This record gives sequence, structure tokens and C-alpha cells, in this order.
Amino acid sequence: MNRLVAIPFILCATTLAACGSSSKTTSSNTSSTTAASTNTTAVTLTTGNPSAAVTINEDGSSLLYPFLQELVSPLTAQYSNITLAPAPGGSGKGIADAIAGTVQMGGSDAYLNSGQLSANPGLMNIPIAVSAQSVYYNLPGVTNLKLTGDILAQIYQGKITKWNDAAIAAVNPGVTLPTTTVVPVRRIDGSGDTFIFTSFLSATNTAWQNGPAFGTSVTWPGVSNELTANGNPGMVQTCKATPGCVAYIGVSAGAAAQAAGLGQSMLQNKSGQFVQANSATITAAVSAGSSNVPPDLAQPLIYEPGAQAYPIVNFEYLVVKATQANASTAEAIRTFLAWAISTSGGSTPQYLAKENFVALPTSVLPAVNAAIAKITP
Amino acid sequence: MSITTEARPEPSAPPRPARRRLPGIGADRSVRSVLLVAAIIPTAALAFLIYQMVKTAWPAVIFNGVGFFTTKTFTIGNLYATGTEVHHGYTAAKGASYGILPLVFGTVVSSFIAVILAVPVSVGGAILLAERIPVRLQGVLGTFLELLAGIPSVVFGLWGIYTFGPLLSRTLYKWIAALHIPWFTGPTGAGEGMLTASLVLAVMIVPIIASTTRELVRSVPAISKEGALALGLTSSETVRIVTIPYVRTGVVAASILGLARALGETIAVLIISGNFLNAYPHSIFDPFSTMASTIAAFLDSALTDSTGMAVHSLAEVGLVLLAITLVANLAGRMLSRRFSGAGLPVGRGV
Repeated sequence: MNRLVAIPFILCATTLAACGSSSKTTSSNTSSTTAASTNTTAVTLTTGNPSAAVTINEDGSSLLYPFLQELVSPLTAQYSNITLAPAPGGSGKGIADAIAGTVQMGGSDAYLNSGQLSANPGLMNIPIAVSAQSVYYNLPGVTNLKLTGDILAQIYQGKITKWNDAAIAAVNPGVTLPTTTVVPVRRIDGSGDTFIFTSFLSATNTAWQNGPAFGTSVTWPGVSNELTANGNPGMVQTCKATPGCVAYIGVSAGAAAQAAGLGQSMLQNKSGQFVQANSATITAAVSAGSSNVPPDLAQPLIYEPGAQAYPIVNFEYLVVKATQANASTAEAIRTFLAWAISTSGGSTPQYLAKENFVALPTSVLPAVNAAIAKITP
Repeated sequence: MSITTEARPEPSAPPRPARRRLPGIGADRSVRSVLLVAAIIPTAALAFLIYQMVKTAWPAVIFNGVGFFTTKTFTIGNLYATGTEVHHGYTAAKGASYGILPLVFGTVVSSFIAVILAVPVSVGGAILLAERIPVRLQGVLGTFLELLAGIPSVVFGLWGIYTFGPLLSRTLYKWIAALHIPWFTGPTGAGEGMLTASLVLAVMIVPIIASTTRELVRSVPAISKEGALALGLTSSETVRIVTIPYVRTGVVAASILGLARALGETIAVLIISGNFLNAYPHSIFDPFSTMASTIAAFLDSALTDSTGMAVHSLAEVGLVLLAITLVANLAGRMLSRRFSGAGLPVGRGV
């Protein structure tokens, strides 16, 4: 009898003690929390170090992942209660996990489609940087190969099978092309890189636009020796092991691709110029494309006009739900996002240059801040 | 004193059965209930699994109809297009078309090739182990064989793609391709393809077939073998005329169990198959897809489809795979029960 009475009593006591102690922590910390308000045009964001330790889980885009990995330590150095835990897995996984709530943020190179937006009101895609994608090839001895979207679409449809095909020779005058068979490599996971690559193919080849079109996962035409890989590092590995391969690899894996001995191609942009991906050409593309970004921030930057514009450029999105579980998580996410896009926080030239990314153009910052402000408990 | 004589025993009712319910046997009854629950759980789990699969696959079954079994393309559709496809009241993304034919082809062909390659190796190895090798070594080698069954399939997949496949593609495949036999010729690639996957599957199912065969060979009556030897047959003729006919049915049963294992193998095939969809492989070196590897590879992409039809279709693929493997397992076990009481290897799943 005594034991039966004592147990609930002890349970209640411990619960009250726990509740009491957490409220005590909150009240003692408000004095030391630095609540910063960032004033941007017409939007006031409340950011700061949250009162309780928050871990922001993220997974998704393997193109964005190296950049987020870089930001983990400086973020916690600046805001001691926020820890970022990124993971790769492909943009498709990032979007699916963000919708399911498995992670607080889903990394994606692809913006959300209308079906996803209407099925999940309150789901937002918030860009934090601008990235790009290069097409690499494994042909030792051939440097600065020029390719067009039309040629790539034909390769991935199986219409061009040899590297010394007339179409490739036509845009590479004076270059001796080998007779090697072209081996296209594609991503098997739901991939934002696939999304931007197929967007580029759709913009340059009508058969591709009417057929596979674009998406994080498309119906790839059956090409008999096509290979598959998982993630950007997988693309680098597979292409390195396969002579004659051609693969689309995000710029954040550019250093690994160069180290693997792959050649970076020059792609023809809308103005007819052949350009390689670098900060100047990426900046030219995003400046051209971000003049009227819609409020939902779903803006492609593919095949933008401009003599120096690189054709495969994209916003790196974090897919976040507007309504978060509690105030601490909401504050942590707002703080991280605001810090990440700030040129003195996450978007310093040092962090961006390591991944070959470019900072968000100032013209989109008001819309981005408006979206960040919507993240509330 | 009265003498009672019994002329004959009166025909009485059969003796009452001893009472099963004795007082104080409550503990026995509760143990029986617990064991009954434990016995029901696997059946209930299987029934629940089948019910859930059918329930999740049902929208796809209606949407895809019979076309599921006649179409070549398996595509989620264009999630970024405007509009959707609606069939029989169910919605999918525009351009979505789900067909299982190449997946069934890939699953069945790779599993059959694996069994065809594994059976001679297993039977030969088992006969060797049971009869020719000195008894001292039989235990050790038998243990190695069983250890092979315990290796996780993902390890087989990694080994296949990084070591085995590239090695074979540089050597054996090039020699075979040079012979220009139809379907055995073509670009050999880096080792990702049907032949590599079948070889790795064969290595995985050899332990299942070999350990069963070894038990069967041991159970061949010594008198038959000794009689054959006495009649002047050589040992290889004894094997051919006495042992093999005796173990034939058991080997078939074990092969069907190995086939069932190969049909359901997911991770190893996902890693080595090359994941080639929407067309049939043109040669034995080409990449392909199986039902199990497609479910694993496509799940993340399918979850981004807001109509949900992609997930339902993957569930339909899973349902077909479940049906095929259940039938194969059932056939194997029914065949094996006829002769062998010894426990057969249950076989690991993924």
C-alpha cells in the first residue's frame, strides 16, 4: 500500500522538478541572450542564440552538402546553442524528408513543384547561395573540350555514341578527338543535379523537352552502356574509372573531379559563347536571372542570356516548413538562415570560393528575408 | 457366500479418457496460451504484411491496370509539368507510366543464371566434401562453406563493384566478348551488369544448395554405394549412378530455395546491376534492373511525388515480388518435406 502511494508521488515530484528547473533555466538565460533584430527593407527578423540547445538536422543535396559542412563550426562558434547536422542523400530525399518532418531542413538544388506546394501549405524553399554544375569527361589528353546542350542531349539519348562524332568535331575545330565510345553517366538517386542538367537539356533540345523533360528523377532514354552513380562523389568515382565517360558534376565537387583527372568542358550559353564555370560566369548568369524572382523564390537560372553567362546555374535551396515545433527551433532556423546568407556570416568569399559558389544577389534578399520571417513556432 | 460369476464381461463404454483439466494445472494452461500466441505471431505478421502491401498497392493496381504487366517503361512522370494524369479515379503526375516487364525480366533471368551456375558447383563441392575429403578436413571446409552464408549481402555488393566486377570485365568478359556469340558480346564496361550480378548471386546461394546436398549425400545408404563398388563401378560411376539419382529431388528443392533467395536479393543487386530502366539489356554484360533493386533505388524519388502514385506503384512491384518469392519458397519447402526431416537453411533475407 505504501509502495503504491509512493510511486506516483515520486513521479509527480520528479516531473515538477524537471518542469521547474527548465523554466528556471529560461528565466536565467533571457538576461544573457543577445536578441538581435536584423532590419532589412520592410522585414524585421528576430534572430539570436536560442535559450535551449537546438540541433538543426538537414539532409539532401550532395551539391550543397560540402558548403553546409564548412558552416558547421563557424555557426556554433557564433551561436553556441545552434548545431547544424547536415547529411547528403540527394535533393529528392531532402525534399521528401523535409515534407515528412524527418529533418528540419531539406537541401535541394531543385525548387518545389506546384504539386508539392499545394499538398504542403507552409512549405517553403529558401535559397542560401548560388551554385552551378559542370560537365566533366574522361579523355586523357583532351583539354577544354567544347560541348553544347544539344550534343549532350543527343549523347544521353544514345544518338551520339563516339567522341569523334561529327557534331562534337564541329564545335571543336582543330582538336583531335579519339574514337572512344561515349559512356554517359547519370544519377540514380533523386537528384537536384539531375534537375538542373535536364533543365539545360530541355532548354537546348526539343526532343528532350518533349520526352524526358526535367525533374529530380526523369525517364532516362535507354542508352546501352549508360552507367549510374550515387551522389556527386559517386559521379566522380564512376567517371574516373571509365574511359570515355561524360558526367554532370556539381561545382562543389569540382576539386575532386580535377584531382581525379577529369576534364572540365566549356558549355555553349544562350548567346553562343563557350564558357566554363567560374565565379564571373556564374555571377553573370544569376544577375541576368534574378531580376524578377517570384515571391515563392522558385526561380530557375538555366540558360540565361548574356555573353559571359554560364548556362547551368541554380539557387541552392533549403526546404523548410513555416511552422516549427517550438520557439527555440524556429529561432535557431531563422538565425542560421539569416547568418548563412549574410556576407559576414556564412556567405563570406572564403567559404563560398572553396565550393565554387557565389553569394545570393542583393536583389533577392528582401524576398528571402520575408520567407525566413515566416518561420515561427 | 455368494459367488458372482461373470459369464462374460459386459460390453461397456470405452474407458473414459483421463481428465485433461486437473486442478493446479493453471500454470500449464497459461504456458500453453503464451506458446499459442507465440505460434500465431509469425502467421499474423505474414497476414498483416500481405494485407498492408495490398492496401498500399491498391491505388496503383487500379491506375495501372493490366498495362502494368505489358508496359516496358517505369517512370514517375514529370513532376514539374502542369496537370496530372487521371485513370479510373486515381491521380498521378503527368506522363507517369508504370510497367514491370523489364524488372521481371531482370529478376528472373539473373536469378536463373545464378542458379544454373551455382548448382553444379554446389553439388560437386558437396559430393567432394561428403565423400572424398579426409574426415579431418571435412569439418573445417564445411565450416567455411557455412561462413559464406553468413556474409552480409552489402559486403558482396561492394566486393562485386570494386574488385570482382572490374577484374572480370578486364579479363574473362573480354575473352567471352571476343567470341562474338549473340547476347554474349558487346561492350564489357567496368563490370556493372547482368553477368557480374548473376555471378555474385551464385556465390551467395552456393552455401544454401551445398549444405543441403552435403546432408543428403551423407544419407545415401552405404549399402548401395558399397554394392556398386563391389560390382566394379569406379567411384565416379558410383556417384553418377547411385548417389545423384538418390539426392536429385533434394537438390532440386534446395535449388528452388536458392532461387527464392536470389529473386529477393536487393542490396547486392542494387550496387552491381547498374540500374538500367525502361529497356531490356542487349547483352549479358549490360546493366539491368530487378524488382527489388528498383524499389530500393526509387523510393526517395517516389516520395517526392505529391500524388503518391509513385509509392503505390513501388508497392505494387513489391507485391508482385512478394507473390513470386512466396510461391518459390512454398514450392521448395513442399518438395523438400517429402524426403528430408533435417532443418533446411532458412536463408537470410536482404
